[in-house]
This record gives sequence, C-alpha cells and structure tokens, in this order.
Amino acid sequence: MACKNGYQRKVRDVYRFISENLYFNRPDIEVKGERYNSALLFGILTAIYGGKELIIGEPGLGKTTSAEYVGCLIYRYPLGTIWGSEVSGHPEQTEEKIVGRPHLGELNRGNEVVVWSNFVQIPVKIVDEINRLPETKQSMILDGVDRGNWEYLNEILINDEYVLFATANYQDKGTNTIIAPLVDRFDVLVESRHPGPNIALQIGRRSRLENPLRHPDFERRFHEVLRTQMPYEEKVSRLEELCDLFGEYLKEELGVEGLKKEERQEIRRELARVPVDLDANAFLRMVLAEFSFCHRFGQKRSVEQCAEGCHYTGYICYHVRNCASNRLPTSVIGYSQALAWFLEDDEVDIEHIRTVLPFALAHRVQWRDSYISKKEGEGRNDPLQIYLAKEATEEIFQRYNEQRDYLLEALSVAYQAFEGEEVTPLDGDHPLYEEIKKDIGSK
Amino acid sequence: MRNPFEEFKGQATKRREIPLDQILRSKEETLSQILRGYENLLKNEAKDLVWLMQYSTVIKAYTIAEEGIKGIDYTAEDIEEFCYALDKTDQIPYLITGPAGVYISALCNHAKEDEITLRLQDLNVKINLLGYRLPEGKRLIVEGNVGDFTGIGLDGGELIVEGSAKNYTGAGMKRGRIVVKNNVGFNTGHGMTGGEIVVGGRIKGLGKIVGGKIYERDHLIFPSEEMKPFFF
Repeated sequence: MACKNGYQRKVRDVYRFISENLYFNRPDIEVKGERYNSALLFGILTAIYGGKELIIGEPGLGKTTSAEYVGCLIYRYPLGTIWGSEVSGHPEQTEEKIVGRPHLGELNRGNEVVVWSNFVQIPVKIVDEINRLPETKQSMILDGVDRGNWEYLNEILINDEYVLFATANYQDKGTNTIIAPLVDRFDVLVESRHPGPNIALQIGRRSRLENPLRHPDFERRFHEVLRTQMPYEEKVSRLEELCDLFGEYLKEELGVEGLKKEERQEIRRELARVPVDLDANAFLRMVLAEFSFCHRFGQKRSVEQCAEGCHYTGYICYHVRNCASNRLPTSVIGYSQALAWFLEDDEVDIEHIRTVLPFALAHRVQWRDSYISKKEGEGRNDPLQIYLAKEATEEIFQRYNEQRDYLLEALSVAYQAFEGEEVTPLDGDHPLYEEIKKDIGSK
Repeated sequence: MRNPFEEFKGQATKRREIPLDQILRSKEETLSQILRGYENLLKNEAKDLVWLMQYSTVIKAYTIAEEGIKGIDYTAEDIEEFCYALDKTDQIPYLITGPAGVYISALCNHAKEDEITLRLQDLNVKINLLGYRLPEGKRLIVEGNVGDFTGIGLDGGELIVEGSAKNYTGAGMKRGRIVVKNNVGFNTGHGMTGGEIVVGGRIKGLGKIVGGKIYERDHLIFPSEEMKPFFF
C-alpha cells in the first residue's frame, strides 16, 4: 500500500514548481483525470525511482533542461554543479573525460591513482546528446549506466544511488544509432515537445541571466569536495551535507523542498512495496506474450521473420521483429509503482500500466518495415515510436477487456495445474494461452 | 521453481462491472418500467385486442398513459428503444398502433428533453397518433414514416416528420406547427383550429378545417380562394 507520509506532497510540489517556474510546457497525458506533461512527469518518476530515462526531441526544446531541473530539485544539487557533471556526446569523447583519468602528479611519483570525473561521482547523471557518441564509445558507459559500476585502471567506483537522464536528437548527419543493449537499458523514452507559440513566447521573454537554481557559492563548495582525493564514501557524506545546506536554501528562497538521501531511500522502499493488482498483472502478462511470442519459432528473434498466414497475424507479435527483454517488465512495474505512489493510490492498477507502458515500449520495439509504412502516415501528436507503442497498448487493452474474466480463470487454472492438480488448462485465442501451456508442461 | 501463477491462487474470478454494464442494466430497468405502463394501458383499453379510435377513447387512453409513466426516469433514447420494442414480439405480446401512439405521445410530452428525435426508419409498423397534444416548447422529430392521426390535438409544439404521414394528420390541432417532409393522406387538418401544417410533398386531401394554415410544396392552400374555413 502506498504510504501517505508527506513525501508525495514534496514530490508533487517539485513537479508544480518546475512546471510553473522553470519548464513551461503543455500537459500531454491524462492519468486518472489529471493532466500532466509527460517529459516532466516521467522525469520526476525517474528521479524518485532511480531509473534511466531517454529524452528525445528537436534541438532547443528543453530535453536537457527538464532533466537538469528535476535532478537539481529532487537531489538538491545546484544547477551549476549539475552542468559541471554532464557528459556531452560527441565523436571525440574519451573514457578519460567520461569516467576518470590517472592522477598525473601521482603517476609521476609512480603511483596509480584515479581522478574520477564529476559525472561518475554525483548521483544525477546526464548524458547530453547520447546519440552523438559513436557506437564504439557508447559501450564505455554501458556498465556504468546499468549497474552504477565505474572502472578505470584497476580501480572501481560503485554508486549506491544514481539516476540517469540521456538526451537524443532526431537522426541527422551528426548522429549515430544508439546500440541495442544500451537502448534496452533505458527504462522509458519521452519526448520533450514544442510548447506551442504562446508558451514559447513566454519562455523567450524570460531573463537568461537569472536562474533561481544557480548558486555560485554552493557550486564552488561542491566543486571543492568533488575534486578532493578522499575515499568515495567519505566524499558522498560530505556532498550530502552540502546538499542538506543547499536544500535549506531552496526551501527558504523558493519554498520548494527537495529530498534527503534517506528520504529518497525510504521512498524507494515504499515504491517496492506498492502491490500490483490482478488486472494489472494479467494485462501485463498479455502484453509480454504479444511482444515475445512466435508460434513458429518458439519466441521472437530479431534475426527471424514470422511467416505469412500464421494464425497469430492479428496480434502484435506479427508486427514486431525483436523480442521483449526482461528489462521491460522491470521498467513497467517499477515506473507503475512510482506513478501509483505519486498519485497516492493504494496499488498499481491497469490504468497505471496503460500510462507507463507506451513509454517503456517505445524505444525497445523494433517494428517491421511493412507495419511502419502502414502506420507512419496516420494523424498523431506523438513521435512515431511513442504513437505505435500507444496504439499497441490500446489494442492489447481492448483484447484484455474482451477476455478478462476468461483469462483470469485460465491463470487460476494454470496455478492449479502447476501445483500438479488434475485440471485441464483453458484454451483461448491469444498467445498467452499457448505460453501458459508451455509453463505447465502440457505442450 | 516458484509457481509463476502464484498471484492467481484460488482466484475466484469475479465478474468485473464496467460502467457500460451499469448503463445497460439501468436502461433495461427503465425499458421494463415503460413496458409495464404500456401493458397496463392495453389491459384497461384494449381488453379484446380491439381499440376504436374515438375522441373519448383517445382522451381516456392518454389519461391512463400519463398515470402509467408517472415516476419513470427516462430519456428520449428510452422512448426510441420502446418504439423498437413494439416491433419485437418477444418483448410486446401484441401491438395496437393506436394506444401505442398515445402512449409514446405521453412519453414525449412528459420527457425531460425539449427536443426529442425518434429514429424510426427501421420500424416495421407505422405508429398512429404520434405527437398527440404535443405542448408548447417541445420539438418532436420523427425520422421515417408515420401512420394515421399524426399530430392530432397538437398544443403549441413543433412536430417534424422526416418521411410521410397518413390520414388525419394534424386533425383537431390548436396551435403549433407540423412539418411533413414528404406526403400526407386524406382529411389532413380535419377540425384544426389553429397552427400550421407544412407539407413538402403532396396532400391527398384536406379535411374540414376551421382555422390555421396549410402549405403544400411552399404554396398556401388553406385558407385560400378555393378553401374557406369550415364552421361546424
């Protein structure tokens, strides 16, 4: 059950403060009757869940700034420190700039000491224009973004808490493809959109010189701690002390409270305890079945193409090339729990899943070319990949509604069969029924 | 390995009620109340399955109909549903178009909506007496053809028939307006004392008219040089 201990209010205050004062944009999604801006909402959820978010959009539409504001307020780091820790994607980027470099003075004395970059040291990690990194250099951050493990020379630095925001422009001459294993590590993909001419003019009128989240004195103090050579654990606690002071400043000057490290940890424990109701559970099983099932080849594989005339051509599996990874349910459940917590709901229900799912699917699904050609001309407000994911979600949701009672029955019977009871598994016209049979060994 | 269906252990599947179920249930309930009112009217007025169209029987039937619909919370859509239920023998044991028309008129006259549209194109029978006593402020639009005695005793409302009507259209009407897009039958406007009837097609014949106006294809045909008001 989601706890109502005041943390939600703090987090919602951050959302409101950013949307009213810093990141002006239109609401573009509705969750349980309330409208939100998806880039900002998912940014906040990413920060509290400790997830990884890929933000796409045209240049200059606030991809990086939205992430900076969220990271700055939830983690209580001054904006200048966040800027000084960002990694910028470009072809000449090196491991020494991203991760760490040898301490030259110590090296001259014959010692191997690593000077870690700010990027790996602070919990808010922003990679700007990640798709300008060549594919070979994207691998350098693969492990770090996945597990928070950073290695250089023979040293290792492990982040016990971190959040990753990466931005990507649409394809142009200077961009590269984000390699599949890296893409899959992002929990969600959102678009930072044009806010419309009226709001854009408001943004244009704002003074470029004043940003309430800048604080040169604090930034200098943070920088001093970051560049000292002390054990990382000690550095983390020194940084947290500074964060507390900066948090006090934010509260007094702007009236918005960030979250202390222990509060963030408590929130994550609360998120993990939010239960998932049966409908959400069964619906997600249906989704996973459609994105991984192949009648002919046993499962989806990006190197195989399913045949024409298959009985399951009416399902999503026919339109996709690749198989859903195991990170997909982790992302969907994690973000749905975060959303339910944010909305102070007692459990994750199907609405939370429906809201999160398109954003967790959009970057992971490789659609068949024939399907893209068929759908790309349709009228829409979202970029194609989010649009297709939303369409797929609604299509599966409709199927779920049609056979919900029967499916729950089938899953209940499956439980009994798995326990060795003499029951006949239920047949149905959906890949999930086939998968159930495989699990209980009746096929 | 842990049972992957653990969460569904002993899950007695409860039927989930979606808003549509509630709407359908309440619609069914409303329709059955309306049907009960109609059956009551038939029990009182057409015991032998015979109903003579007379001035007094219409007035009496209307009073019973008004009693029958008292307290029913219905919408224009429910009236339309009832019209189609009249067509189905499994819902209505027998259809007598006279009392049915009086009953529908009572429903329309007491409906919450000021404008009611009945889409009756697909109805097999032509209902008589639609628009009986339609009061001022009400607008009844009927899509499809209607039967005899349409809009009789009209009392200030506006009746629009997007189709044809049969004999005695607008008979005895006092005020208001009847518009028939296509044709009407004999004795049109018989005994009418006021209001107007506008017919887009042909009028087979006029009745004895006391007052009001009748147009046929944009031409005023009553009162005219050839047709003077009749005094009973």
